[in-house]
Amino acid sequence: MENCPFPFTNNIASAWLPCMSKDKSSNAFELVGVNKSFGGVPVLKSIDFSLKAGTITALAGENGAGKSTILKIISGQLRPDSGKVFIAGTEMALFDPKNSHKLGVAIIPQELAPYPDLMVYENIWVGRELKSKFGTLNRREMLNRSKEMLDVFGIDINVRLPMKKVSVALTQIIEIAKASTWGAKVLLLDEPTSSLSDREIEHLYDMIKQLKSKGVSMIYTTHRMGEIQKLADDVVVLRDGKIALQKKIEDTDANDIVTAMIGRKLGNLFASKSTPTKIKKLEVKNLTLTKSSPKISFDVYEGEILGFGGLVGAGRTEIIEAVFGVRESMQGSIVVEGKEIKRGNVKKLIKSGLAFVPEDRKGAGLILERSVLDNGSLPNLDSFTIAGFIRPKFRIKGINKVMASVNLKSRGVEQLVGTLSGGNQQKVVLARWLTNQIKVLILDEPTRGVDIGARSEIYSIIYDLVATGISVVLISSDMPELIGLSNRVLVVRNGEIVGEVQKGRLDEQGAQEEIFRLASGQNTMNQNTVGSR
Amino acid sequence: MSIASVPNTRWSNNNLKDLLLRNTMVFILLIIFVFFTIKNSEFATLGNFRAVLIAAAPFALIALGQTLVILTGGIDLSVGSIIAVSAMSAAYVAVNKTENIWIAASVGILVGTVAGLINGLIIAILDVPPFVTTLGMLAAASGFAYFIGNGAPINGLPEEWERIANTKFFGFQTPVLVMFLGFVILAIVMKRTSFGLQIYATGGNRSAAEIAGVNTRKILISVYVLSGFLAGLSGVILSSRVISGPPNLGSGYELGAIAAVVIGGASLSGGRGTIWGTFLGLLLIQTLNNGLDILIVPAYWQKVISGVLIVSAVTIDAILMRRSR
Repeated sequence: MENCPFPFTNNIASAWLPCMSKDKSSNAFELVGVNKSFGGVPVLKSIDFSLKAGTITALAGENGAGKSTILKIISGQLRPDSGKVFIAGTEMALFDPKNSHKLGVAIIPQELAPYPDLMVYENIWVGRELKSKFGTLNRREMLNRSKEMLDVFGIDINVRLPMKKVSVALTQIIEIAKASTWGAKVLLLDEPTSSLSDREIEHLYDMIKQLKSKGVSMIYTTHRMGEIQKLADDVVVLRDGKIALQKKIEDTDANDIVTAMIGRKLGNLFASKSTPTKIKKLEVKNLTLTKSSPKISFDVYEGEILGFGGLVGAGRTEIIEAVFGVRESMQGSIVVEGKEIKRGNVKKLIKSGLAFVPEDRKGAGLILERSVLDNGSLPNLDSFTIAGFIRPKFRIKGINKVMASVNLKSRGVEQLVGTLSGGNQQKVVLARWLTNQIKVLILDEPTRGVDIGARSEIYSIIYDLVATGISVVLISSDMPELIGLSNRVLVVRNGEIVGEVQKGRLDEQGAQEEIFRLASGQNTMNQNTVGSR
Repeated sequence: MSIASVPNTRWSNNNLKDLLLRNTMVFILLIIFVFFTIKNSEFATLGNFRAVLIAAAPFALIALGQTLVILTGGIDLSVGSIIAVSAMSAAYVAVNKTENIWIAASVGILVGTVAGLINGLIIAILDVPPFVTTLGMLAAASGFAYFIGNGAPINGLPEEWERIANTKFFGFQTPVLVMFLGFVILAIVMKRTSFGLQIYATGGNRSAAEIAGVNTRKILISVYVLSGFLAGLSGVILSSRVISGPPNLGSGYELGAIAAVVIGGASLSGGRGTIWGTFLGLLLIQTLNNGLDILIVPAYWQKVISGVLIVSAVTIDAILMRRSR
């Protein structure tokens, strides 16, 4: 409070102005020496970072670099371990979302959570409803003001529509409009364009520029180079919890930013590629997911790592889930080692040697309230039982063995999986398949949310498996990972395989651009993607 | 919120705290026990314990079925009515169709099992929420129970009918033995068989279980079939104890069973809970009812006290668990 000569009131605007005159407060916010760690692992290391009022800073960095931790600290969802945070010159004492909100900070998370069954205007006013003098809802006023609010941004939409009928893009724009009308001065946009089409992105850009002209400051995280150069005044790159680059946008270029993000040669994490044999391990023939969806066919060879590239939401996960039988498919056939397996029979597929590590390990991979032992033995339960009875010692021995093979750090197999770190959870999801002689391992975003150390361990596990002749199908949005690991990459767009990038081509410069071009269906190269979602 | 005790290798302050935490319900039960023993000399007698157990048996069976259902993240509201329809079917067959009481009893159990199967199929195959499905079955089964008796109780059961619940083995009546057998078998099933683990997996995270190759539909159907089977068994035992087939038999029992499971530490969202916990929950409710009866507390106050104590017991458990995190 010492920087602000006036006591804070609920009225943001009146409280804002006096603070603006102080020298510190030309900054919309400022982090001074901020440290944060989770479970002993440092995520942010003495970060000094400020945002000038009325400017846009692009915040870039790989997965786990600390981007969202910074956003969460500013928006009050996380408390830093040490260091100071000023918002409009006021030091944050209380780290609480309500407090940040009061100070004028609004966050637009990557995954929005609207109320799907309430109408658009109800969504806009939830939490600060307009009331009549009898204390009942003043719906007419809310309707009118919602229309005005959206009009400002040139959005013409029936505000009486239920929110679930509104596209993701519009939902996001409505969310931003909402924040701007309650007087937010600092907007934190977490990868706002990751699920938008090009036209929708243009609309968002217009809106952002309009807000900027009104003096709103913004932090913008993205992995699209084009956007950084188009929108931002400054760019900050985080790497392993430290600031790797902090420059005005005109003093830097895409190459600088990419180098700062990755910070090392791509090859470092990846070994040289082995040559797969000509033996087909898995054949997917004319698989269709719905009546109208395209036919999917591909083969996986012995010892091959077959990559699946594409934008988020392109349908890669859906294809793989249909192959594994956890998602319904209409027709087509799945052949493992020359033997056709009935579609949709997960148990048979597992028996024949297929294994699947899903993208969302908490949602679809693990039973968090059960032990490493229980989770580990679930996929091949039959092999640990006699007539349905579990063989306790045999099971512990088997699980201990596979967990040791992936170097799992736990207090023993009885530890609950929910209490393990992200990287170790991922090792459990992976290792539990190794109790059986697997033929084809399907990995969906195996390193998402996993720190660099565990990531290289996961890569070396993959290499070890491939060396024994196991084939790997790899879905990854992390370009260096996809290119570095795969022998061959299939690119998916709108649920269809639209191209293939062969081994030789992958090693050349420009492979990334080619994959992106196929994935986005464009011929321009200005929206280069790097890093990951 | 695991209540099952784990052997402690070393005895330290921490272990003692741990033991207390893990066995909150045991201690609460002990306190209630000591209280009633001091208040009334009739409470802590062998005869009274027998009475508690025999009263607990029909509840115990449906609470066991309910435990498995709740572990999958579901609920079975229909067990009370299934008791009625099973008892009525058995009584009808015994009075009108056959002299053989065992055939009649089997028919009763079969009717319960079929009702459970219908629940399971609707829930697992048609994806109708368990709450809605079993609420429907609660009404429908009750209707059938009245239909079988033409709206009245079935009387004139053979004398032998009483034998089902009153035969003694090793000094215990059959229902008590069936109850203990049920607890032991299901405790082993849940701890030591793949079926048990798959129930936990289905309730803990259904999509993860499916990716690991668990046929979750089969698991869901099995738990409702088992719940129906146990309700049928419970119905036959109850009708034997009253030697008739009243169509409102077992009405409201589902709530007592659910209470026992929840007091035992199971989570209504599935994946967490134990058979041992249900056993303790059941004992808590039954001891309380019996003790208050002995102290001649009026029925309406009994209800209030039970309600308050049930919520308090679970609250204490929840607070201690939160502190230990």
